[in-house]
Amino acid sequence: MTHWAVEGLETDLDHFHLGPVDLTLAPGTAVAVLGASGAGKTTLLRTLAGFLPRRGGRILRDGKDISELPPEGRALGYVPQGLGLFPHRTVAGNVRYPLELRSWDDPGPRVRALLERFHLAPLADRYPARLSGGEQQRVALARALAADPGLIVWDEPWQALDVLARYELGLALHELREVERVPIVVVTHDPALAFSIADSFLVLDHGRVREQCDAATLLRAPSDPFVARFVGYENVYAPADLAPGAPGSLRAWLLGRSGPEGVAVGRPLLGPAADAPAWEGTVRRVRPGPEGLAVDVIADDLLVTLRVAPPVTPPFPALGARIRVGIDPAAVLPLGPAPRPEAVR
Amino acid sequence: MSRPAGPPPASGPLRRGHAGGLWLALQLVLSGSLLLLFVIPLVALFTYAPLSSLVSAANNTQVRATLWLTFLSSGIAVLAAVVFGIPLGYLLARRAFRGRAIVESFVALPVVVPHLLVGLGLFLALAIPGSPLYRLTTALGLPVYDTIWGVVLVMVFVSAPYTVLASELSFRAVDGRVLEAARSLGAGSATAFLTVTFPLALRGIVAGLVLSWARAVSEIGGLLVLAYVVYPGGAYTGPPTSTVSVFIYELFQLGDLKDAAAVSSLFLLIAFALFVAVRLGERSGWLPWRRGELAP
Repeated sequence: MTHWAVEGLETDLDHFHLGPVDLTLAPGTAVAVLGASGAGKTTLLRTLAGFLPRRGGRILRDGKDISELPPEGRALGYVPQGLGLFPHRTVAGNVRYPLELRSWDDPGPRVRALLERFHLAPLADRYPARLSGGEQQRVALARALAADPGLIVWDEPWQALDVLARYELGLALHELREVERVPIVVVTHDPALAFSIADSFLVLDHGRVREQCDAATLLRAPSDPFVARFVGYENVYAPADLAPGAPGSLRAWLLGRSGPEGVAVGRPLLGPAADAPAWEGTVRRVRPGPEGLAVDVIADDLLVTLRVAPPVTPPFPALGARIRVGIDPAAVLPLGPAPRPEAVR
Repeated sequence: MSRPAGPPPASGPLRRGHAGGLWLALQLVLSGSLLLLFVIPLVALFTYAPLSSLVSAANNTQVRATLWLTFLSSGIAVLAAVVFGIPLGYLLARRAFRGRAIVESFVALPVVVPHLLVGLGLFLALAIPGSPLYRLTTALGLPVYDTIWGVVLVMVFVSAPYTVLASELSFRAVDGRVLEAARSLGAGSATAFLTVTFPLALRGIVAGLVLSWARAVSEIGGLLVLAYVVYPGGAYTGPPTSTVSVFIYELFQLGDLKDAAAVSSLFLLIAFALFVAVRLGERSGWLPWRRGELAP
């Protein structure tokens, strides 16, 4: 079991600066790295794995500084975006690779055990190009584990996977964390799976750490529009979206409640609400679905999505109809690092 | 993104089928004409040289010497392309450096320069007694004028670029993330090269080597100047002769069309057999090529 710590890690890549990043990874913990495209997620992972030069800070494995070690000396299972499976080796050949590097006398039993564990035994002689996305992910995980890593660093594990494959991979990672106590760092765009395996979150924005917190804090107080959307807010506005608004307008009202990074609006209401302020808008689109009815309304030049919980019965609001949008002040959440009142979604 | 021009919009299935048929016919005529051009000289050669003349050519000592010289020197040239060309291809694929565009131009140069000119340049640099490179090659026991080393030198010059370019493209096509995965699994950079990069690039490199070899055996321009006749010495110990191209050219100059056609046909058969052998080898999967990506 390995303790990992990242202290003030910084790196420069062309004109991009990442960091400083601090992380503590005790055995059995998992961190999800979040952020918009270009936030520096992959850069962080590649720096951890030793593929990008570091400008400052340290990476500690059981208290020992490994920042100067080359990638092959870090005992860290890095799974790059796209998995990096060896196309010229079979499934078994891929899993055997790290054991061959370590000159194992008889890698057979270990390879077989890993293939069994990840339900890959029937596919042992196949080449990666002939596997499904989920099977390829399991090969990547089995291969990473064959090297007996002290940390799994995985870039977008759930990319292009169907629901069942996601579920199975989520289970496998969960088991890895819970049973073998291997710490995990994942980059993901998928909230459901991030919440299912990660116990803490690192939010990057333009190379800087925007937020570092547990799941409850992330849900309760998202720090910026990206995080707000990630945790499920549909109506998120940056300050630039809101100004200038005429006095009494929806934009002016929201701007008055906005934090430095904008505002997130939970559960706007369809139709006039008894005690909530309301604005008139035009129905732009109506989307029925298993999660109820979504009605996109343009009110005061802002797109507001209203949700009607199922069961939804026709008639639905007509396109172009004028309807009232009510917003509960308690469901309006300012975004930003300033102290934030608690909000109910 | 443009798509190949399709049939013009038509009103009914009959018209559409008609236009489609015309379009297909046009494609067949155009591509067929080119294929015909490729085939005509081969048919002419084999028609002009009956099988009996091929057999007698194969038994002729002079013809055997010229074939041996050609395959030996082209073999050495391909070996040189492996030793020097693949590293250069790797360098160009993986390293950014100042003056890279100039290096790339020099690699492409042998493909675009008339080969008679190449022969003349090599002659001036290496074959004029008293020049520094003449003294050096002679001192090393590798004189080039009318020797197998001259043949090899010209062949390397004209053929190695195909290996360099093919290697560069093949190395560049290897996904960097696959390499990163290998490194993270414990492979040092040399091991990652040998176990991942090289096997994945090998298919393209071998294709480049085949092209290099084909270019080397068909060379004549540079050889007319630097090594018209090859005397025994170095790796070649047979009687004085020429490479196949020069040999056939000489037969033609002497008006001996029958023998020229016979030697040409014999050479074509051997070259074709070698080419087919390489292709079969590639298909059989005895090399660690991208078997996983080959069609089932």
